[in-house]
Amino acid sequence: MRVLVVEDDALLGDAIQAGLKQSGYAVDWMKDGVSAEQALTTEPYAAVVLDLGLPRLSGLEVLRRLRKRSDSTPVLILTAMDAVESRIKGLDAGGDDYLVKPFDMGELAARLRALLRRASGNPEPLLQAAGVELDPAAHRVLCRGEPVELSAKEFAVLHILMLNAGKVLSRAKLEEQLYAWGDEVESNAVEVYIHHLRRKLFPELIETIRGVGYLMPRDKAT
Amino acid sequence: MPQRASLKWRLLALALSVTTLVWVGAAAFTYLEAIEEFDEILDAHLAQSASLLTSQAAHEIDEIETEHTPVFHKYSPSVAFQVWENGKMLRLHSVNAPGSRMTEVENGFSYATFGGQHWRVFSTWADDGVYLVQVAERTKAREKIANEIIVEVMLLPLLFALPLLALFLWLAVLRGLRPLGKLAREVGQRKPDNLAPLDALSAPREVLPLIERLNRLFARIETSMEKERRFTADAAHELRTPVAAIKAQAQVARAASGNEERAHALDNAILGCDRAAHLIDQLLTLARVDALDNRTAETCQPRAIAAEAIAAMAPGALEKGVQIELLESDEVAVRGNPELLRILLRNLIDNAVRHTPSGTIVRVNVVSEQDAACLSVSDNGPGIPEEERSKVMERFYRPLGTQAGGSGLGLSIVKRIAEVHEATLRMRAASEGKGLCVTVCFKSLPQ
Repeated sequence: MRVLVVEDDALLGDAIQAGLKQSGYAVDWMKDGVSAEQALTTEPYAAVVLDLGLPRLSGLEVLRRLRKRSDSTPVLILTAMDAVESRIKGLDAGGDDYLVKPFDMGELAARLRALLRRASGNPEPLLQAAGVELDPAAHRVLCRGEPVELSAKEFAVLHILMLNAGKVLSRAKLEEQLYAWGDEVESNAVEVYIHHLRRKLFPELIETIRGVGYLMPRDKAT
Repeated sequence: MPQRASLKWRLLALALSVTTLVWVGAAAFTYLEAIEEFDEILDAHLAQSASLLTSQAAHEIDEIETEHTPVFHKYSPSVAFQVWENGKMLRLHSVNAPGSRMTEVENGFSYATFGGQHWRVFSTWADDGVYLVQVAERTKAREKIANEIIVEVMLLPLLFALPLLALFLWLAVLRGLRPLGKLAREVGQRKPDNLAPLDALSAPREVLPLIERLNRLFARIETSMEKERRFTADAAHELRTPVAAIKAQAQVARAASGNEERAHALDNAILGCDRAAHLIDQLLTLARVDALDNRTAETCQPRAIAAEAIAAMAPGALEKGVQIELLESDEVAVRGNPELLRILLRNLIDNAVRHTPSGTIVRVNVVSEQDAACLSVSDNGPGIPEEERSKVMERFYRPLGTQAGGSGLGLSIVKRIAEVHEATLRMRAASEGKGLCVTVCFKSLPQ
């Protein structure tokens, strides 16, 4: 899951980036409205954490422009103003949720999960497919009832595949969601993760569509 | 507690004393007029009595027995007469008349003294020139009548009228001052947060200036309270971000899986605390500076203060690789609060050190210019574009891309201190469009 964090405060932005990385997200961090706007037009983000008081271009304006492009990426607004009007403004401009500073990192992560869940059209907090159960909050995977140990990246790949069950995902698409800018991407990393997942869970879980990408069948009988 | 002056009593006392004064004046005038008129009337009576006597004297003088004339009136002893035959022989006289001539004046009015009394005398010769008639009246009797008139007609009524007048005046004053009472109640019953202007339409003209000034005061208080509210809101808002950063960094540290990650987050949390503490310091300084004025001004030596500030800040700056220099400065004296000047310099130098790149020099200079002493601090930082220069002095305003982690209050504090000292604040590029030079010019004192 790749998220964009837009926060002009150096220490807070750094903490959000680190905290979300701990939760397994790939995080891009922008410090002003204009760079956020650019990132949003070029990169596919699963969600955006947006501060409102930004230099160069206000968070509200970034949000309005995003929605004007018919981009429905979930946006969580961070605001230092607890005035109801500013929250209303943020939500009306196209925000999906908001948090008032100072906030709890756990709550930020939970709200992000809720936003991602709603965006995927699946209200169930636990993702289930083909006998595999994935708990995004607890970072736990059960295969046929048995807990499976996965690395952060392996978990992220599985998570993306399960959210998109029934759809073919290209390697590029997977990489976009897995890596933030500046992360070192090894050319065959995705293949390696898929290989590990097949080994740790079971081989038929993920199908390779040669020349196109990977597919996790929507409901695969075990 | 001293006796508070009462407008009502004052009005009443003034009205009563003015009334009394006018009344007494009128009485005195009347008294003088009355005495004059009275003298004329009584003189006429005297002349009349004399002419009666003269017409009588010629015919019946022998038949008149005056020794035993009854006293008809209480004023009788106050009236006397004499009839002299040929001016030499006393033929007829009243009981109280003396045996000698009352006066040597033989025609017209005169004054005389006999029997220990003062008299007004009218003398006339009877038609045939045989009898000299002299009629006298005691002057004291005249005065007594005049006095009685003045006391009974003018002064006694005043004695009764004054209390009555006082009562009516009191009621009138009470009624007249009712708008004042209404105003007092209106102001008195106000809630502290009600700063709406007072109704000036129904107020009497005399109270209008008071109401207008009160309304102006209300407006000023409203503005300053609004400023205060905005500042408090801004301050709370500004504190939220560093607190959010500290909390988030601490949570990242707790969840960190590696030592390096944890150390980084903890360092950042500590940095966040420093930043929050700095912000709080600056907020307190600004609050203190806001409440200050230049009343405690004394003679200050800007050069010495600059040297002191640089000495205090140089070690911190050196850690960042920045040197602070005091240029060959002039020895000038200004009037000001040395503590405030120190704060001003510290903020200017702190700003310069924050924004200047490592390895450069921050220059502080004190220059004497005509009748001004100018303190300037320049750096080699990115500077501030022309159009931003007025904005950076607003509270919590940080120019774009500022990563120096300032409180956003430093220049507000500098501006406020300059205002207190009636000093001018200028900003320009330090050299060739680069860097920033902030100059504060104070009125200098003659050396």
